[in-house]
Amino acid sequence: MKRIGVFICWCGSNIGGVVDVPGVAAEIAGISGVLCSTDYKYMCSEPGQDKIIKAIKDDHLDRIVVASCSPRLHETTFRKVLERAGLNPYMLEMANIREHCSWVHASDKEAATQKAIALIKRAVAKVSQLEPLFASHIPVTKRTLVVGGGIAGMQAALDIADAGQEVLLLEREPTIGGKMAMLDKTFPTLDCSA
Amino acid sequence: MVAAAQHPQIKLLTYCELDEVNGYIGNFTVSIRQKSRYVDHDKCTGCGTCWEKCPSKITSEYDQGLGTRKAIYVNFPQAVPNKPVIDAANCRMLNSGKCGICQKVCPTQAVDFEQEDSIFPESVGAIVVATGFDLLAWDKVYGEYGYGKYPDVITGLQFERMSNASGPTGGKIVRPSDGKEPKNVVFIKCVGSRDESKGKEYCSRTCCMYTAKHAHQVLEKISDSQAFVFYMDVRTPGKAYEEFYQRSVQEGAQYIRGRVSKIYLKGNRLIVKAADTLLGRPVEVEADMVVLATAMIPSEGHAELAQTVGITVDKDGFFQEAHPKLRPVETNTAGVFLAGNCQGPKDIPDTVAQSGSAASKVLALMSQDELSMDPMISNIDEEFCSGCLSCQAVCPYRAIQPETVTYRQGGQTMERTVAAVNSGLCQGCGACTVVCRSGAANLKGFSNEQLLAEVNAICR
Amino acid sequence: MSIIQGKNKQWQPLIVGFCCNWCSYAGADLAGVSRMPYPPSIRIIRVPCSGRINPQFVIRAFQRGADGVLVSG
Repeated sequence: MKRIGVFICWCGSNIGGVVDVPGVAAEIAGISGVLCSTDYKYMCSEPGQDKIIKAIKDDHLDRIVVASCSPRLHETTFRKVLERAGLNPYMLEMANIREHCSWVHASDKEAATQKAIALIKRAVAKVSQLEPLFASHIPVTKRTLVVGGGIAGMQAALDIADAGQEVLLLEREPTIGGKMAMLDKTFPTLDCSA
Repeated sequence: MVAAAQHPQIKLLTYCELDEVNGYIGNFTVSIRQKSRYVDHDKCTGCGTCWEKCPSKITSEYDQGLGTRKAIYVNFPQAVPNKPVIDAANCRMLNSGKCGICQKVCPTQAVDFEQEDSIFPESVGAIVVATGFDLLAWDKVYGEYGYGKYPDVITGLQFERMSNASGPTGGKIVRPSDGKEPKNVVFIKCVGSRDESKGKEYCSRTCCMYTAKHAHQVLEKISDSQAFVFYMDVRTPGKAYEEFYQRSVQEGAQYIRGRVSKIYLKGNRLIVKAADTLLGRPVEVEADMVVLATAMIPSEGHAELAQTVGITVDKDGFFQEAHPKLRPVETNTAGVFLAGNCQGPKDIPDTVAQSGSAASKVLALMSQDELSMDPMISNIDEEFCSGCLSCQAVCPYRAIQPETVTYRQGGQTMERTVAAVNSGLCQGCGACTVVCRSGAANLKGFSNEQLLAEVNAICR
Repeated sequence: MSIIQGKNKQWQPLIVGFCCNWCSYAGADLAGVSRMPYPPSIRIIRVPCSGRINPQFVIRAFQRGADGVLVSG
């Protein structure tokens, strides 16, 4: 049996001023598999995060829905919360009820509330299907190839090399310097280009 | 240049081409071709005897056709490395087997006519592409400026070579036709830039400033000279740029707003006909020399390089950054970064800034011993994979390769081909999952089952 | 939804939007940040790329009663 926790954020009045957040939480609590459906003023704040961690531990939740802002903003934040609570960070799904709901449907609170419910139901459906994922690790060869030995390539090569890293500076012409070495004085200071 | 050549952490690979790039962020294997120089640079001391004695005279590309070089040559006296190469297309020995003077005079026996191209692999973790620009071949399209038939109609880069103290004229500004000092010099801006009909739609960004500099140089170096600048707009958005332009105006550069409609020869002078659109009347200038500020375009071979490295180009052939505002030096291929004019026309201050930015991205990568890869990537179930490799064809990141697997059937060990995902290259776009007819390819974190569950839930 | 319902002024269509995380999903975020109102009939599903959208997903949406599907990327 899936053990889902749903955490709905007010984002102050950003969501809470449009969407009936406690009403949504009550509605979502009725979905099968949802063991915990609760709301809080700012879910990303420290008390908000602690609330999630406590619920994960108390209710032995194994997957989490956070309904708040765009995942493009806070997905990493909440993945870390899951990790801190001992869950796989990829057992998270977010419902975007701010950018995609309260902020654009502010004039119709009822419709916004209904849409928020639908968006959270989507997230619950997805989270039910999630499986733990594990990041793979690959080594890094500490050496850089710079293609082109003009001003851009030389400058990049020097900046990298000055930090102690090895650089290969490749140039197709017999000599480096590119177009810049052809120039006489350069604006706006009129100093030489060598 | 010298700083780059002498840096203990920089290995110079001049006269080399990038033949092949394989691998992925942190783990690229590149194949580099050292073009044959016919000169052993370990033996060569750069003494210069060979190019003094070489009997072949060739027009110098480096001097933009204004000077000559030998078949064994260095581009300019301060070149790095300051050792010659032989131009195989123009060398008498390599073409007819008769000559070999450079070999005879070389005190260190460095000349080697038998030398061949060599190809060698290198392992790198990051690639910075900084391939620069070329100038639009204006002489192919601008008939009104004479299609290149008037020797005294030159480009800004030719002007630079002339005014450069180590250039073909030793820093003297002269007419290429007769070597005389020009008194009236006309500058035409936006030749090929901001010209959709004959050139490019974009602004080349540097021309306004270098034309102001050229006008200043003419007025400074040549007494009783006049500089006329025909322009569409004067764009000087940079620190101390407007002041620089105003200075050249105050020194006497005459700015005329209007396009030049025709240049023709009258005696040994050039007549430049145009309209002054501010005064609303035609103008005619008798010029000794005309300098064109030609459009900057991606350097020759950019399309092939994009293919080799695996990066995208924009509508004009410049390499495409990952995001125009937020990721200006990254490409859509992880581990490949951009610097300078290959990404779009820019001047030296902007190029240096962008190079520093690319370097900092590289260093952020190099500061890690291991890279943690996003696990939301494609996964191919070997059991279901039929090995059709349709996925390989649609993968934009070249992350799918065929792999041979063995299995047991009827007591026998059999072999078959399946598709395998390279976790370093896969960016998790999921294109492979859509073409997979057997349902073997699925995307972790955005699987078919997950997305269908979402659709079901949203439609209920 | 039937055509008869379509004549009802109260009727709101259900539109399923498949939006690429890197462009149109971000665009919808930007619409939110800019407070640009639009009808609440669209519900967005995030995909990593428009190339991820299997025609099967579109068909499934229609089977389950969607009135329109927006594929954007």
